Amino acid sequence: MTEGSHDCAEYAGLSRRGLIRGALAVGAGLSVATAYGGAFVETSYAATRSAPAVLVVLSLRGAVDGMSLVVPHADPAYYTARPRIAVPAASLLAKDSFFGLHPNLAPLLPLWNAGKVAVVHAAGLPAPNRSHFAAIEEVEDADPGSAARIGWLNRLIGRDAYAHPLQAVQLGESVPPVSLAGPQPSVAVESIADMRLSGADKWDTAGRRPRSMRTMWSGVGGPLGAGARSAMQAVADFGPVRATSATPANGAHYPDGDLGRALSAAARTIRGDVGAEVITVDHGSWDHHSGLGTLEWGEMQRMATELASALAAFFTDLGPLGEKVTLVTVSEFGRRTKENANYGLDHGFGTAMLLLGAGVRGGYHGRWPGLVDDANADLTVTTDYRSVLAEVAVRRMGASAAQVFPGFQPEAVGAIV
Amino acid sequence: MTASRKTKVPSRATLHALQRLTAGYTPALRQQVEAAGGFTRWFDRQLTGGYDDRWYAQTAAWWTSVNATPAQLWQRDRDDVEGLWRADANYQCWTLARRIGSQRQVLETMTDFWEHHLHVPANGEVGPFRTSYGKTVRAHALVKYADLLEAAITHPAMAVYLTNANSSKRAPNENLGRELLELHTVGRGQYGEADVKASAKILTGYRVGLWTDWAFSYDPAQHWTGPVTVMGFSHPNSAPDGRPVLAAYLGYLARHPATARRIATKLAIRFVSDTPPAALIGRLAAVYLSNDTAIVPVLRALVASPEFAAARNVKVRTPAEDVVATWRALGVRITRAPRNGMGEDETGANEILWQTTGLGLAPFAWQRPDGRPDSAAAWSSTSRFLASLDVHYTLAGGWWPKQGLAYPAARAWLPKKQVRFAALVDHLARTIHGQPASALLQQVAREATGCRAGEVITPKHRIVRWEMARLLTVFLDSPIHMTR
Repeated sequence: MTEGSHDCAEYAGLSRRGLIRGALAVGAGLSVATAYGGAFVETSYAATRSAPAVLVVLSLRGAVDGMSLVVPHADPAYYTARPRIAVPAASLLAKDSFFGLHPNLAPLLPLWNAGKVAVVHAAGLPAPNRSHFAAIEEVEDADPGSAARIGWLNRLIGRDAYAHPLQAVQLGESVPPVSLAGPQPSVAVESIADMRLSGADKWDTAGRRPRSMRTMWSGVGGPLGAGARSAMQAVADFGPVRATSATPANGAHYPDGDLGRALSAAARTIRGDVGAEVITVDHGSWDHHSGLGTLEWGEMQRMATELASALAAFFTDLGPLGEKVTLVTVSEFGRRTKENANYGLDHGFGTAMLLLGAGVRGGYHGRWPGLVDDANADLTVTTDYRSVLAEVAVRRMGASAAQVFPGFQPEAVGAIV
Repeated sequence: MTASRKTKVPSRATLHALQRLTAGYTPALRQQVEAAGGFTRWFDRQLTGGYDDRWYAQTAAWWTSVNATPAQLWQRDRDDVEGLWRADANYQCWTLARRIGSQRQVLETMTDFWEHHLHVPANGEVGPFRTSYGKTVRAHALVKYADLLEAAITHPAMAVYLTNANSSKRAPNENLGRELLELHTVGRGQYGEADVKASAKILTGYRVGLWTDWAFSYDPAQHWTGPVTVMGFSHPNSAPDGRPVLAAYLGYLARHPATARRIATKLAIRFVSDTPPAALIGRLAAVYLSNDTAIVPVLRALVASPEFAAARNVKVRTPAEDVVATWRALGVRITRAPRNGMGEDETGANEILWQTTGLGLAPFAWQRPDGRPDSAAAWSSTSRFLASLDVHYTLAGGWWPKQGLAYPAARAWLPKKQVRFAALVDHLARTIHGQPASALLQQVAREATGCRAGEVITPKHRIVRWEMARLLTVFLDSPIHMTR
């Protein structure tokens, strides 16, 4: 348990720092000064606070086929509809009488066996929407009653008075997702190394660079003005994350690729304890119109391996810090029941959502609607995806479902304790 | 200083139009407009091919792959000379080089617009076809949308990208059939799922030898025959060769009022604002329809509109636009083509692509078929902002890229041997922004450099000798340069 105790010590240290920061925030009020890179940056935000719980939202872009990842092996229509690309029942992992996991999800088995992985199958939007772009807007806005483009995660971080650009961080992709759109500031960066202000270097001893940039941008309106101010604030307060080791902890080994890099950065951001409560990561494309393939070849076996390896590495890397981190996957929709001529699947409806980590009640959840082997048949949605997200938002983040998902009555899913 | 000795700038209205219609202001551009006899005449010459296109051919010669046929590109890949992904990267570099130096700025701007509207990524994903696709789009960029649409949808690059290449009558693949309706023409709300399926059926018949020989063909045996109806379009579709039906179908879509509104909206978002007025969109759509989808009349109406004139500096530059405008503003010149016509060496003509990637997105690297976003919200993230500042400062210092480029010497930025700091700042604003320095910009420049307004700047001043980048980056890092 040497590794474990090392992590516990580190965790305790981080918590202490969080406590100290909390105390600072009380004393310092609204105007706080932070030393960074020899420069002196004055801010108008509160100091960062330690995040008591962290939600990581992994968006599987392109509409993932939930029935390939989590296979309904006891539904005969699954096999008749997919004569070439169905995952054979004999190959499945964590198999119960109805479901089993794709064999390339094997890296998740230790977490699964520890009861830290839940699946909610046949989840999705309340009505089919087969346009990627319109569906992802609908999924991430999650407020059909309002024309305002405000994402559900923006409402989530707006649940209390604390506001800081680092409260929600998108990693791996610099275009912010719809889920973060809205009045609360947030940050979108490709990598941790991107979080620096050019010219604010060791030669800028008088802090001219940050001061002049603040002067230039302080009165600028619109998204670019807000983005500039958030960026300068985030740079100033991101120091603890930069100070963490870039080497993953606990021997974690991330797969090559964007997903591994983004989750590794997510682990560092959590370890840096800069108050990031929400972290979003996009991965894809899972838009497998062709070449989804079989167990021997194709995009599904390759991407399932990458997904499972990256998720397993993430929780290994976090170690005991993982006790405050819950990860949930979303996708704009699922794919058709019947395979097409190109070893692929066209746009469908319901899909599977995965939940990992803190508070998760492991196992298979959701109500199976039964499949029909018909050219146009879908996996029908039996669980509104908002019910799943609401459970996480309420039970893990202490939010009110009515605030995060206005006008929606969540049903109990049971995927979160 | 008297007014006459100040560095010349265009009128505010002309500057605004140039920022929207070109890759960025330069003093040479102002001179081109002046020589043409004013903005209106300059715009007319731009729209009618009145400026020479030598830069296009000259830069095309820098990369062997840009002039190769798809068959040659595939052969080069198989011979391990240059991979298909690198051929696409060369294409990306070429488009950036074109925008930097072309005399046909409006044509390059519109080519960029249509290549994003009819988006096909340039990342090796569509085999050897991406360069050919880009050239095809450019050939139609100022002509008629109906022709452009048909050329794009029937191009092998599109067939590969949206998986129409191996669709069949037994199982029509719906990918292209849907995006054709949703993205390229009428937009959502105009059609149902039955229309999508019929659209996919009309498109069946094209074949591509994916990763074998990349041969592009039409196989009537794979075309779904029988009556089809998509929205108001119906056809018996009885002949095995479905290409005439497809041409009629695309012609119907291109001329549909919903397509007119969609194109008008996209143009207005590109050239006016993220939330363009509905009245403008209605007028542009009417011009589009009454001119049988001709593009030039729509552009003329757009640029003449009061909505266009009123929307200054509200569009945030995309990553590619920022990098190209920065090269132009700093007068960075490409002096040497990549060695052996290859993309692997570190000349500026190649490295510009990695600069653009660093800002969040290389040209045509967007991973979804809807094309890169064109809104301030998409391009105002922390990462984008900080990366832009980094590229500005690095280029202002002439630190990277180094090879095959010429940067102006620091002292060349002085308007004369001895100048007061405030006058230098005004000169730089007029040169880089095309407009005088505001009081705020003067203040920022003083804060960034520690110079006083009246301080005399000579070639021996520390700013010129060591710290010109700290001053130049002020102009590049400003809202004026980061918007258009």
